[in-house]
Amino acid sequence: MSHDDLTQSPLAADGAFEVHLAQRGEKYRVPADQSILRVLSDAGVDVPFACEQGVCGTCLTQVLAGQPDHWDMFLTPEEQAANTQMMICCSRSQTAALVLDI
Amino acid sequence: MACSLDELEALGTRPLGRTICNEQMVFFKGPENKVAAVEDFCPHRGAPLSLGKVCEGKLVCGYHGLEMGCDGKTVHMPGQRVRGFPAIKNFAVIERYGFVWVWPGDQSQVDEALMPSFEFFDNPAWAYGGGLYHVKADYLLMIDNLMDLTHETYVHATSIGQPEIDETPCKTTVEGDKVILQRHMAGIQAPPFWQMAMSANGLDPNARVDRWQICRFTPPTHIMIDVGVALAGRGGFDAAPEHKAYSVVVDFITPETETSHWYHWGMARQFKPDDAELTVKIREGQGKIFNEDMQMLQLQQANISKWPDRKLLLLNIDSGGVQSRRIIDRMLAQEQANSNHEPEGIITGTTA
Repeated sequence: MSHDDLTQSPLAADGAFEVHLAQRGEKYRVPADQSILRVLSDAGVDVPFACEQGVCGTCLTQVLAGQPDHWDMFLTPEEQAANTQMMICCSRSQTAALVLDI
Repeated sequence: MACSLDELEALGTRPLGRTICNEQMVFFKGPENKVAAVEDFCPHRGAPLSLGKVCEGKLVCGYHGLEMGCDGKTVHMPGQRVRGFPAIKNFAVIERYGFVWVWPGDQSQVDEALMPSFEFFDNPAWAYGGGLYHVKADYLLMIDNLMDLTHETYVHATSIGQPEIDETPCKTTVEGDKVILQRHMAGIQAPPFWQMAMSANGLDPNARVDRWQICRFTPPTHIMIDVGVALAGRGGFDAAPEHKAYSVVVDFITPETETSHWYHWGMARQFKPDDAELTVKIREGQGKIFNEDMQMLQLQQANISKWPDRKLLLLNIDSGGVQSRRIIDRMLAQEQANSNHEPEGIITGTTA
């Protein structure tokens, strides 16, 4: 898997980005009008979720590379700044790719 | 008016759920025992918070233990981070005269200075007794009813009614936001309720009297009625206290839905203010009389609801209600014009 470049590159103008699932060795494209959670669920990847609005913390996911764009209300500002975890129901990416521990 | 403090306190650690102006509210004692009101809707799963209990000034939902603060923000919930929980509405309340008063409308227009004052509360020269009825009728029908006492002859035939009421014309005057409707009857026999009051005040119950009814409507929906009898020829309403038995009928009418309201009724009097037994006796008598109004209004509402397109008549005896409704309409339009968003209640922006 070669994701090193994209996790350092800025987000494309159309707002779409890639998510790389490190454990599964899979790669998905997340368009601007869909959440990471929705893309993964539609692809049959079993990820836990509940509120889908960044409140409950159920979809908390570890981030291995890339920089998330946090939109949730669950993580504290300090936790968000560390960029090591994210809520995939509503948060997005600031880099062209994110590597998630899934 | 939302509720009496007695009503709230009687519930102990339970909160009070009550719909006012179509807003489902829950009242509870927050920090420092201060009354608060928020939406009766848990932001978690929509459970009525009024089914919960109050613990250390927080309202604890009876479903999963979410702890709600008086500002409508979740304070705590076991096993959860609550920072992102959506807030629910909170309503401005004040405690005054032993009651809780709420502002159900646009909270940006809250103005405590608009709260009316009443001389007979917290005043040792006066005694007050009253009660609460839930009436399944439009609050405007109650306003019509109280701003036209012609009905006493028929609805209250055995207590305060008498034919002289019908025979004496009434006069309606409007002073700004106030409507005053009055009727003065001279040289008549007092009806049973007033004979009881005359005896209680040391007057001969069979003496001829001058009787008065002065109904005063003030916004949003308060009606104070000076009622009484004085020994004939002593000046009627203006007679010296020793020659009369008189009181103020106190009506706080709080809309619930379009077809129901909370009717807080009472009587304030200056004669024998320390006689607690008399207060009880008057309250019982008044409760029976007002129950007669309630029965009439509920059946009237049922009829109107069944025939919503039928035009009703407004006669000269209804002019007090007509003028009161005009003031309510004007204030509603005013508040809606001032409001940045859609109106939500029946009466918005007035202390109910």
